[in-house]
Amino acid sequence: MREEVRQIQRLLEEQIYIADAAIATALYLSMALGKPLLIEGPAGVGKTEIAKSLAKALDTKLIRLQCYEGLDATTALYEWNYPKQLLHLKLEETSPASEAEKEAAIFSEAFLLKRPLLQAITEHERAPVLLIDEIDRSDEEFEAFLLEVLSDFQVTIPEIGTVTATHKPHVVLTSNRSRDLSDALRRRCLYHWIDYPSLEKELEIVRAKVPLIADALSRRVAQVMQATRAMSLSKIPGVAETLDWANALVALNANELNDEIMAETIGCFLKDETDIATFKAELPRINAD
Amino acid sequence: MLMSEIESLVRFCRDLREHGLSVTPAEVVTAAAALQIIDTKDRDEVFLSLRNILTTSVDDFPIFESLFATFWSGLPKKTSDNVQIRRTSPVRATGGLAFFIENWPTSIRASAEPVNLPGASDADSRAEKDFRAFTNHELEEISRIARRIVRRLAQRRSRRWRPVTHGHRVNLRRSLRMSLKTGGELIDLAYKERRPKRTKLVVICDVSGSMDIYSRLLLQFVYGLQNSFAKVESFVFATSLSRITGELKNKTYKRALDRLAANVRGWSGGTRIGASLMTFNAQWLRRIDKQTVVIILSDGWDTGEPQQLAHALAQLKQRAGRLIWLNPLLGSSAYQPVTRGMQAAMPFINVFAPAHDLASLRALEPHLVL
Repeated sequence: MREEVRQIQRLLEEQIYIADAAIATALYLSMALGKPLLIEGPAGVGKTEIAKSLAKALDTKLIRLQCYEGLDATTALYEWNYPKQLLHLKLEETSPASEAEKEAAIFSEAFLLKRPLLQAITEHERAPVLLIDEIDRSDEEFEAFLLEVLSDFQVTIPEIGTVTATHKPHVVLTSNRSRDLSDALRRRCLYHWIDYPSLEKELEIVRAKVPLIADALSRRVAQVMQATRAMSLSKIPGVAETLDWANALVALNANELNDEIMAETIGCFLKDETDIATFKAELPRINAD
Repeated sequence: MLMSEIESLVRFCRDLREHGLSVTPAEVVTAAAALQIIDTKDRDEVFLSLRNILTTSVDDFPIFESLFATFWSGLPKKTSDNVQIRRTSPVRATGGLAFFIENWPTSIRASAEPVNLPGASDADSRAEKDFRAFTNHELEEISRIARRIVRRLAQRRSRRWRPVTHGHRVNLRRSLRMSLKTGGELIDLAYKERRPKRTKLVVICDVSGSMDIYSRLLLQFVYGLQNSFAKVESFVFATSLSRITGELKNKTYKRALDRLAANVRGWSGGTRIGASLMTFNAQWLRRIDKQTVVIILSDGWDTGEPQQLAHALAQLKQRAGRLIWLNPLLGSSAYQPVTRGMQAAMPFINVFAPAHDLASLRALEPHLVL
C-alpha cells in the first residue's frame, strides 16, 4: 500500500472516521488526479461524513452545497445583494457620478453574495473541501450547469468577468441513487460505493463514536442492527441511526437490551409503523441468536 | 510505465467494454495516470483504484471484479524500482498516452478474438419478435397522442423562475438594472414567474404472451412518451422485469426496437406481475414520489400469488402521485375484472381504463395531470 494512502487513513481515523482501504484509496486518487469523487450508497452510511472528516483532516474549510429540486445558479453560485444596491443608489442620488460609474459601483464584488460554488472557487488560503450533497435530488439542468463549473473551476460573472480558482477545491459529491445521474457527470468523477458496514466495522464505529457504551452492549447493538437490515423493511436504518440508538442507550444508563429499554428506544432506528411491527415480530428470533 | 503494462490495461478496458461497461478513452488515460502514482504491487490497491476510475455505478462492480482477475494475472510482475519512471505530472503524461491509446487498437487487434459489441449481438432467434408490422399511419397517430399527453404534463409549475413581461412577482435583478437609466429610481418593474414543472412518468408494460397483440402498439406509445419528455422511465416485464429507458432513447423507433429485441429476454413468455412489481419496488420505489404518475399496462393475467401483487401495488400506491392501470381487455363490453390478479389489484388503482385502441389512449390524457 502507498504511504500516502495509509496516511489518509490515519488522518481520517484521527477525526474518528473509521476509514477502510477502499475509501482511503479513493480519496488519495481524487486528490492526486484532481478529480471529483462521487460517493454513492444507501442513506445513513456516512457519505457526508467523509467530506466533513476530510476537511477536518486537511485542516481546511468545508463548503457545503445541499441540493434539492429547483436549485439554480442564483442559490448555488452567486446573487446580487439587491437591497444593498438599492440603498447605495439612493445614497448616491445627488453624487455627480455618471450612470456608467454608478453601474460599475453596484455591480462590483462588494455587492456580490457568494453562494457555495463561488465561495469554493474564490477561497484564497488553501484548497477547501467542496461537498455537493445529494446531487441526485437536483434536476438535470443543474447537473449540466455543475458539470461546467467542475470541468474548469472557473465562473463567468457578466458584470465582473471570469473568476478562476486559485486553489482547485477537493470535490466530493454524494448521491442516494434516487435518480440516474448523467453519464457525463459520472465519467467526470471517480466513483466510490459505500455499503452498510459489516458487523465488525459497525462495532468499531460505535465504540469510536460512543466511547461511553459498555462493550457487551455495543456488540449487542451492532448485532441487532445487522439483523434488522436483513429484514424486509420500507426504510432500512443506517449507521447514523445506530449511533443515535447507542447514544440514547448511554443516556438512559442501559446495560442490556431488555424489552422495556427496547420499547423506549426503538424509535431511534425505526421510523415507520409497519417497520416497527415487522421488527417486533422478528425480535424473538433475533434474541434467540 | 512499461509498455506491456499499458497493453494489459488497454486490453482490460476493451474486455470491460465488451461486457457492457462504457469505458471511454479519457478514462483509460486516467487509469494509466493512476497506475503511475499507486503501488502496483499491491493487488488490492490496484483493484480499488481502477474500480474507482473505470466503473461509474455499483451495478458495474460484479463484471469488473470477474474481469480484474484476468487482468491482474496478465500484468507483468516486477519490483517497485522499475515502476520509477519519468517524473511527469499526470496532466503532462495525458497527452502522450492519449495519442498512444488512440492508435493502440490496430496493434493489438491482430491477436484479438472477435469483438462482440453490446447492442450488435445476435439475439436468441426464438425470443426475437418482429415489431415492424404496423402501418405508418397507426404509428404516427400513436406518437401524436403521446406528444399531446406530454404537453399536458408540461403545464405544471416548478420552483424555478423565468423572466416574463407581465407577471405577479418582481424580478429584482432586472428591475435594478433598468432603474439605472432613471437614476436609481424604480419606475419600470420587470417580472418573473415559476417555470412549468414536468411531472414524472413511470410506465411498466406487460409483454407476456397474453398481451402479444397489444404490447407492440403500446410499446410505440411508450416510445412516444419517452422521446418527448425527459422524465419518463419505462420498464417491460413478462416473468421478470427489465428497464428499457435506455433502449427507447433512440432517434428512430426501428432502432429502438432493434436494441430492445437484442437486450430484453422473455418476450411472450408467462406472466408474473406480482413478482415483477416486487422487483420494481425493490430497485425503483425510492424514485417514485407524489409528482410521479405510474402507469401499468397489463391484462392482469397473473400466474403468481394475488397477495404478492396486492402487496406490491399497496407499496407503489403509497409513494406515487397516481396509479393508473390500463387493461386492453377492458375495451370489450363483456369483460369483467374477475381474474384473481385483477381482483387483488383493484383496491389500489386510482384509474382503471382500457387501452385497446387509439381512442382509449386519447382518453387517457386528463388522468395524467396531477
